[in-house]
Amino acid sequence: MAVKTASLSLTDRIGARTVAGLMALVIGSILVFGVGLANSQTLHDAAHDTRHSYGFPCH
Amino acid sequence: MIVRFLLAALAAGLIAGLAMTPAQYGKTIPLIMQAEAYENGEAGHDHHAPDSSGATTADDGHAHSHGDGESVLGFGRFGNTVLANIVAGCGFALMLAAVALLTGIEFPVGREGLIRGLVLGAGAWFSVQLAPSFGLPPAVPGFPYADLGDRQTWWMLTVAASAAGLWLLALRPEWIVKAVGLAIIAAPHLWGAPVPEDIVSNVPAYIASAYAAASLATTLFFWLLLGGALGVFMARAAGSRPA
Repeated sequence: MAVKTASLSLTDRIGARTVAGLMALVIGSILVFGVGLANSQTLHDAAHDTRHSYGFPCH
Repeated sequence: MIVRFLLAALAAGLIAGLAMTPAQYGKTIPLIMQAEAYENGEAGHDHHAPDSSGATTADDGHAHSHGDGESVLGFGRFGNTVLANIVAGCGFALMLAAVALLTGIEFPVGREGLIRGLVLGAGAWFSVQLAPSFGLPPAVPGFPYADLGDRQTWWMLTVAASAAGLWLLALRPEWIVKAVGLAIIAAPHLWGAPVPEDIVSNVPAYIASAYAAASLATTLFFWLLLGGALGVFMARAAGSRPA
């Protein structure tokens, strides 16, 4: 593994991790917001039992 | 490389999200359905209403019915919950992966990666479940509640503060920074969660307290499974040759 990673420059590696992290943060936040917090009645009804089970503020 | 990390997180989220539905049907959802029978006070005077199965009480057709969702996606209540759990699993998995990627937590291949994942999952359970539950206990339908917007704001701030504080406390060596982390964890609780004006409820105390324990237990299972799977999959994603 050390040989494989050595072929990448340090900045490439840090860059890829940071970009992946930011993308994951944005997409993940949207999904969690939609399931747990969005005010839409449709989303609330569909995710009702999930919201309660995870302890999201509900109703 | 980027896509591999995202796919690793999604795979972990899919597994944990799928596993969450049976856990909920074993522990939390029967209590939710029992509580719904009391939600509008209809069952409050009929002590025979909540039979032990609990499942039939949700079909009473009371005015304030939740989660049956026939008009939503056409999958019924069970299907909606399966879907919502998968989406929640993937969302939490991506956010947990983001924390690991952005704070420089690496997952070595093998046992060490699994253990780090489990520890990360436990930290997330503390931040997302346990710490907010001090102020806003996991609530069944029919619980007395304060303004929804106030509670959601407090919940989000508490999750963020607990996660940031825990990171400072656990991963920074300087004692002064650890003390700041502890203060950040405590701050939302010293400020205080939104409290309902009237705490009288038709829901029996037994259901409510059993539910709070069940919610914390099932989410601990979820976060440990998610963290462990994430550790293993992220180690593979990082260790494989970048495409």
